[in-house]
Amino acid sequence: MTEHVGSTDQVVTEYVSETTRIWRNFRRHRLAFGGMVTIIILCMLAIAGPYIVPYDPTEQNVRNSLASPGPEHWFGTDQWGRDNFSRVIVGSRVSLSVGVVAVAILISIGVLIGAIAGYNRRLDGPLMRFVDMMMSIPQFFLLLTIVALFGPSLFMTMLVIGLTGWMGTARLVRGEFLSLREKEFVEAAHCLGMSGRRIITHHLLPNTLAVIIVQASIYMSQAILIESSLSYLGLGVQPPTPSWGVMLSQGKDYMRHGWWGTVYPGLGIFITVMAFNFLGDGLRDALDPRLRGR
Amino acid sequence: MKLHHYIFRRILIMIPMLVGLSVFVFVLIRLAPGDPTVFYLPQGETVDPAVRERVRVRLGLDQPIHIQYFRWLTSAVQGDFGFAYGYGEPVLSLIGGRLQPTIRLQSAAIILALVIAIPIGIISAIRQYSLLDNIMTVFAFFGLSMPNFWFALLMIFLFAVGMGVLPAVGDGSGKEPVEQLKYLVMPTLALSLYYIAFYARFMRSSMLEVIRKEYITTAQAKGLENSTVIFRHALKNAILPMITIVGLSLPRLVGGTIIIESVFAWPGIGRLGYDAVLRRDYPTIMALTMLTATFVMWVNVLVDSAYSLVDPRIRY
Repeated sequence: MTEHVGSTDQVVTEYVSETTRIWRNFRRHRLAFGGMVTIIILCMLAIAGPYIVPYDPTEQNVRNSLASPGPEHWFGTDQWGRDNFSRVIVGSRVSLSVGVVAVAILISIGVLIGAIAGYNRRLDGPLMRFVDMMMSIPQFFLLLTIVALFGPSLFMTMLVIGLTGWMGTARLVRGEFLSLREKEFVEAAHCLGMSGRRIITHHLLPNTLAVIIVQASIYMSQAILIESSLSYLGLGVQPPTPSWGVMLSQGKDYMRHGWWGTVYPGLGIFITVMAFNFLGDGLRDALDPRLRGR
Repeated sequence: MKLHHYIFRRILIMIPMLVGLSVFVFVLIRLAPGDPTVFYLPQGETVDPAVRERVRVRLGLDQPIHIQYFRWLTSAVQGDFGFAYGYGEPVLSLIGGRLQPTIRLQSAAIILALVIAIPIGIISAIRQYSLLDNIMTVFAFFGLSMPNFWFALLMIFLFAVGMGVLPAVGDGSGKEPVEQLKYLVMPTLALSLYYIAFYARFMRSSMLEVIRKEYITTAQAKGLENSTVIFRHALKNAILPMITIVGLSLPRLVGGTIIIESVFAWPGIGRLGYDAVLRRDYPTIMALTMLTATFVMWVNVLVDSAYSLVDPRIRY
C-alpha cells in the first residue's frame, strides 16, 4: 500500500509504504521502543524461566530462610528459604499469561458488542445502556466478589478480568464505527450491495484496528495490575505458584526481617506494567496521526 | 431540550438500570457454590444439620431464587437491606459507620491529585517538549505503572518500619486531629499517585488542544499579556473536561480504596466490602454494590449537567 501525495504543487520525492511509515514513527518514540524491547525480554524470560533459573522456585529450604541477597541468592530468600530470584523470574509467567488471556477475552467481547452497537441503530441504545450499567459497578469489587464466591484460581483470574473489563473497548469501537459509518467509502460499499457483515469485517474493522491494538496494549498493563492486586489480597493465583502479587503479600509479613521480599516482586510488576504503557503510548502515536504531538 | 428535561430523563433511566444490575448481581452471587451459613454459625465446631437448616430457613435461603429476589427487592426499595451475616447488625448502619473514614480518604486523595496535577499539566502544555515537560511525562508513566499497594508497602517500609515517623495501621480515630492527619498521609499518597499522573496527562493534552485554537492566537495577536492569555482564555476552556474525567474515575477509585484500606487496616467501606466478600455476606455485598452504583450514576448525571451549565455550547 503506497501513500500518494495528491496535490499538484507538492513534489513527490518518495513513496513510503504505510507499514514503513508506522515503523519509522514507532522507532522515533524512544520510550515505546524501549518498552517493546523490555516486553520481548520478559517474554523470553517467561518462556525459558523454569529451565534457566538457578533454583527450583518452589523448593523449600527452611534452614536458609530469609537469607539476604548475595552471590548465592541474588535477591535473597523468602521465609521458607526459597530463592527469590528464581521466583521473580518464573513469576513473570503468571503475569504475562493472565494478561494475554484476559486481554484476548475482553478485546473480543468489547469489539463484538461495540461493533454491533455501532452498526445496528436499533441495538445501539439497549447495548449502550447495558455498558453504562456494567460501568457503574467498580470493576475491582465485582471481580473480587466473583473470584471469592466461585473460588480463586489462575484460570478464574484470567476469565473474570476479561469478563469485567470489556466496556471501555466496546464504547471506543462503537464510537469509531459511528463516525466511519458516515464516510463515503462505507456508503459506496452499501451502494455496491455489500452485506452488513462484509462491510463490518472488510471496511469498518480494518479501520478500527489501530485503536484496538492500542487498547490491547494499555489493557495488558491494567490486567497485570489487577492480577497482582488480586493475588496480593489472596484471591488471585494461589500459592505455591510463584506470582508477584502472592510474593508481595508474603514479603510484607516479613518486612521487618528484610527489604528484598517487598522490593523485587514489586519491581517486576512495575517494570512490566510500565513497558506495556510505553508500548501503548508509542503505538498510539505511530498508528493514529490525529493524535501526534499530544 | 431543556436541561431539566434532560436531567429528568437521565434519572428515570437509572431505575431500570439499577433493577437490571440488582438482578445480575443477585443471581450471580447465588449461583456461586458454597454455603453462607458456614460463616454464620460457630466456626470449627460440628454443627447439627438441623440447626444449619433452621438458619437457612431464617435467612430465607431455602426459597427459590426469584422469591428470594423479590423479597430482597421489596425491602430494599423501602430502605431495608437486611442484616449483615455474622454481625447481627443492619447492613445500612454497618455501612454508615464505615462511611466517614472512606470519604475522608477518598476526598483527600482526589483533592491532592487535582491540586498537584492541574498545575503540572498546565506547565507541561505551555512548555511542551521542554526539560520540565519531559520529566513530567516520565513521572506520569511512573505514576500510571506503579501498583498502588506496592507503593504503599514501600512507604510503610521507609516511613513506618525504617524511620518510624508515620503510623501504618488504622485511621487514628479517637486521637487528636494533628495525630489523625499523620494517619492519613500514606494511604492518601498511595491512593492518589495514579490520579496525579492520570489527571496531569489529561490536563496537559486538554491544554495543548485549547492553546492551538484560533481565539488564543487572536488573544495573543491583540497584545495581551501571556499570563492573561493562559489563565483568562485558555485555562477556562481547558479545565472543563477535567470535570468529566474526575466523575469517570470514581469506580476505579472505589477499587483502589479496597486494596489500600486493606494494606493500612483502614476501617472503611473498602475493608468492609473485602470482608463481606470473604464471608459470603450476601446482604452486605448487595447493599454495597447497589449503593456504589447509585452513587456513581448520580455523580455522572451531576457531572454532565454541571458541564452544560458552565459550558453554554453544550446543549441537550
